[in-house]
Amino acid sequence: MERLELKEVQKLEGHTDRVWSLDWNPATGHAGIPLVFASCSGDKTVRIWEQNLSNNLFSCKAVLEETHTRTVRSCAWSPSGKLLATASFDATTAIWENVGGDFECVSTLEGHENEVKSVSWNASGTLLATCSRDKSVWIWEVQPGNEFECVSVLQSHTQDVKMVRWHPTEDILFSCSYDNTIKVWADEGDSDDWQCVQTLGEPNNGHTSTVWALSFNTSGDKLISCSDDLTLKVWETDSVGMQPGGGFAPWRHRCTLTGYHERTIFSVHWSRGGIFASGAADDAIRLFVDNSESQVDGPLYKLLLKKEKAHDMDINYVQWSPGEKPLLASASDDGTVKVWDLVS
Amino acid sequence: MDDPFDSSVNLEETHLKEGYDEGYSDGLVAGKEEGKQVGLKVGFEVGEELGFYSGCIHIWTSAIQIDPTCFSSRAKMAITQMQDLIHKYPLMDPEDLQVQEIMDSLRLKFKMLCSSLHVKLHYNGYPAEANDTQF
Repeated sequence: MERLELKEVQKLEGHTDRVWSLDWNPATGHAGIPLVFASCSGDKTVRIWEQNLSNNLFSCKAVLEETHTRTVRSCAWSPSGKLLATASFDATTAIWENVGGDFECVSTLEGHENEVKSVSWNASGTLLATCSRDKSVWIWEVQPGNEFECVSVLQSHTQDVKMVRWHPTEDILFSCSYDNTIKVWADEGDSDDWQCVQTLGEPNNGHTSTVWALSFNTSGDKLISCSDDLTLKVWETDSVGMQPGGGFAPWRHRCTLTGYHERTIFSVHWSRGGIFASGAADDAIRLFVDNSESQVDGPLYKLLLKKEKAHDMDINYVQWSPGEKPLLASASDDGTVKVWDLVS
Repeated sequence: MDDPFDSSVNLEETHLKEGYDEGYSDGLVAGKEEGKQVGLKVGFEVGEELGFYSGCIHIWTSAIQIDPTCFSSRAKMAITQMQDLIHKYPLMDPEDLQVQEIMDSLRLKFKMLCSSLHVKLHYNGYPAEANDTQF
């Protein structure tokens, strides 16, 4: 088998505190549009990075500051790539619009009692979800004129909610928490009646400690979660979306990847090519691939490579870029963002 | 067969029993009084919180009557839902299991409405804001 290597393309400096998260703009990286991503930090700012098509290197195009008064914990581009949502420890979520290269804060979402931990857009860009240390998950509807109206406040987690993620094709929301569970939320009626339809926890082979992040495969019939319990877990469902008779097909445990990590796994992301990356407190990045067809009774996924000392400190976030040949970006407590290329 | 030490052997036990009985009846009285105070306090808190929501709903409903377009249809629905929940609250039956569930729903709906209407209203709760009140 060919030797693959994760090659450091660039180390991006600029943030003056730990970098918590980043998000690639989904509308970039194809049709000649240069790749763009946003990174957010404990320095209360968000930085916009754009690739130069002539030398493929990234440079900082904008710094979004003087809006959030505390750490910016998470950021997310709308599916069209026109709006950027940023979630902050100052209890607000800001919405930024790209107006000719300048980013303007066009709306501020208030409602959470304290630190907002994560923000996510649904596939059509009509709904936004946020979650917080106040244990609640909020769903917002995008209205004309950059207005956002709260649709529902969901309280079912018993602890800090770490991340929210919409299903890649359906309006089903997933949240994971310090209470060790993943919860699935759906609007079963037609009148903003959002309910927790499933809880993936210890009784269903779930995690035994904080669930930090989750990510879907492209078709949306599998998701992977990572945890403080040093494992990655893959979950699957028979069919996505609403069933003909109403209700949803439940998710079930497919396998647990254990023994690969010795420290907390903070981040996991599934590429469209089927490779998932993990970022952990041991400063390493690991890549895994599907192994289900190579041998009977073998592990369903195998370690493709481990990049030791990818950063000088904890890796908080990893994400694959859009485009033909995806790049991997990683954000770390060492205050840098690194861009990686998977080469043979 | 009278044992002269019999009564002194049982002395401790007798006193213990007497003391227990006396303490038990005193405890009943004291506990009842304490329970009354706790009930009074909790009942007051529940009443105050429900009253607070009820007052907000009253104002918002009046505003809708004056200008039916002042709030979004989603906000208007939440106001109606809160109104129904307040009516449904079993005020006179604290042991009804619905009590907590209804209060939780009210609190969530209230948060949502405050966000929708862009108002910063906060029910601070009786114990925190009125600690100078004596009973």
